[in-house]
Amino acid sequence: MEHIEKTFETRELTISMGPQHPATHGVLRLVLNLDGETVVRCTPYVGYLHRGVEKLGENRTYFAALPLSDRLDYISSMNNNVGYVNAVEKLFGIEAPERAKFIRTMVAEMGRISSHIIWLGTHVLDIGATTPFLYAFREREVIMDLFEMLCGARLTVSYPRVGGVRNDISQEFLDELYDFVLDFPSKMDDYETLVTENRVWKNRTVGIGVISAEEAINWGLTGGTLRGSGVNYDVRKHAPYDVYDRVEFDVPLGKNGDCYDRYLVRIGEMRQANRIIKQCIEKLPAGPVMADAPKFTLPPKDMVLKDMEHLIHQFILITKGPTVPEGEVYMGTEVPKGELGFYFVSDGTGKPYRMRVRAPSFVHASVLPRLCEGGLIADVIANIGTIDIVLGECDR
Amino acid sequence: MTTGKFIRTIFFVEILKGLTLTFKSMLTPAVTRRYPKVKRPAKPGFRGLHALAKNEEGKMKCVGCGLCGAYCPSQCIHIYTTEGEDHNKVVDRYEIEVLRCVYCGFCVEACPFGAISLSEHYEYSDYSRDAFYMTKEKLLSNWDKYFAGKKGEAYYRKFWRPQSEDFTGHEGQAKFEKVKKLKVKS
Repeated sequence: MEHIEKTFETRELTISMGPQHPATHGVLRLVLNLDGETVVRCTPYVGYLHRGVEKLGENRTYFAALPLSDRLDYISSMNNNVGYVNAVEKLFGIEAPERAKFIRTMVAEMGRISSHIIWLGTHVLDIGATTPFLYAFREREVIMDLFEMLCGARLTVSYPRVGGVRNDISQEFLDELYDFVLDFPSKMDDYETLVTENRVWKNRTVGIGVISAEEAINWGLTGGTLRGSGVNYDVRKHAPYDVYDRVEFDVPLGKNGDCYDRYLVRIGEMRQANRIIKQCIEKLPAGPVMADAPKFTLPPKDMVLKDMEHLIHQFILITKGPTVPEGEVYMGTEVPKGELGFYFVSDGTGKPYRMRVRAPSFVHASVLPRLCEGGLIADVIANIGTIDIVLGECDR
Repeated sequence: MTTGKFIRTIFFVEILKGLTLTFKSMLTPAVTRRYPKVKRPAKPGFRGLHALAKNEEGKMKCVGCGLCGAYCPSQCIHIYTTEGEDHNKVVDRYEIEVLRCVYCGFCVEACPFGAISLSEHYEYSDYSRDAFYMTKEKLLSNWDKYFAGKKGEAYYRKFWRPQSEDFTGHEGQAKFEKVKKLKVKS
C-alpha cells in the first residue's frame, strides 16, 4: 500500500512568465512555482531594460540630462520632466515664475490622465475587457496631439526647463485643452459604465491582491497603490510643489486595499486631475515663463542670435554647465505611478556627482511576491496590472 | 440582497448598459485614420528629421562651433572642421546619426546661428542603416525639401524659445479670458 501512495505525490511546477509576455507590461520576468493552479512562490526578475540612467546623468550637465528623465517612465514623461526640473531648481536655489508653474502643473496633470488612461486600458484588457482599451486610446490620442501642439513631441516631450518651461503656450492650445477638459468627465462616465459595475470585472478584482495599510507602508508603496489601502499620502498635498497648494483637489482613498479599490482610486484621480487642469486654465496668470536667473538658465534665443554677452553665456552654460552650490538635495514629486524622487549630490561643477532616481515602479515590483503568493495564476495578471509598473522606470 | 439588487443581477442590467454604450458608439463617426492613405499632418514645430539651414545666398549657416554636439544628450552629432584659406573655419563634415538621436531639440536650442533645425517630416524608413547616417549634403538637401520658401524664415522665431519676451512677459500671451468656448457660451 505504501508503494501506491508514493506514486500520487505531486510536484511543484516552475514556469517563467515573461520577459516577453504581453501582460507583464514590459520586460518583467516572473518565475512562478505552481502547485496546481496556486502560486506557491513568485520571484520577479528585473533589469532587462537597464540603461544606466543614473550613471549617464553623471556624465551630462544638469540641462542635458533632462531627456534621460523622459525615458524613465515613458508613458508619463511630462511628470518625470517636472520632477527632474523641480529637483534641479531646488539644488540651484532658483524658482520658476508663476506662469511657468501653472503651465507645469497643467501639463503634469495631462500626463497623469494620459498615464492612467493607458493603465486603465491595458489593465482591463489583461483581465479580458477589450472595449475600454479602444476607448481609452481615443482619449489618449487627444492628449498626445495637445502635447505635440505644445512642444513638438508626442511621447518624450522634454518640455519643462530648469527655471521654467521651453516655450509659452499658444491660445489655440489653451482652447483645445479647455474643450478636452469640459468633455472628459463624460468620457470617464463611459469607462465607468463599461467597467465599474461589471460582474466579471468585480469577480476578478474584488478581494484580489489585498494588502493592508500597515503592510503597504512597510513595503514602501506610494501613489495609487498605497492610497488603495486607505493611506492618505500624496506628495502633492503633503509637500506641495509648483502650484498644487493653490488648486483644489481631493485625494481619493480606497478601503480594502484590493485590486478593485486601487482601480477606483485611479479613476478618481483622473477626475481630480481634470479638475486641476480646469483650475489651472482659469487661474493662469500672465507673465514670464522663464526665471530671470542668467547664471542658471540659458539666455533668450533671440538675444543669443544678436548679442555677444548672451552668446558667451550660452557657450559657457552649455559646455561647462552652471556653477552649482555644493551639497545634496532630494525632491520627491507625485507621478502617476507613485513618488518619483530625484537625489542629487553636487560637487560644485556643472555635472552632478551622483544622480539617484527613486523609482516607484521598482519598489512596487518588489511587492509582487507578497500579492501573488497563495493566489491563483490568473490573478498574477491582475496583480501586475494593479500595481501599475513601467519597466523603463523600474530598471532605469 | 435587496430587491433592486436582485433584479439588477438577474437581468444583467450593468452589462446591458455597457452593451448599449458600445452599440451607440458604432453609430458615431470613426476617430481612426486609414494611415498610409490618409496622412496626418504634423503640428507646427514638430520635432522630426534634421536639416541644416541655408542663408539667403544658399550657403550653409553652420560655422562649426560644435555647440550642438556638446549639448546633445545622445552625443550623435559629429563635426570635423579644418582651417580655410583666410584662416577661417571650414566645416568639412557635419554628421548626425539619426538612429541615435532622441529628438529632444536641444541642438536647435543651443545653436547660436540658427543653423540646425528639426523639420515636420516624420516618415523615413529604409532598408539600410547607412541611409540614416546623415551627412552634410543630405542635411542641406533636407532644408531644400522641407523648409522651402518662407517656412524656414518663420521657423526659429515661432517655436524655438525661450525668446526674450518669455523672460519679461508680454501682451499677447494665451489666457483664459480669450478661450473661444467662453465667448460661445456667454
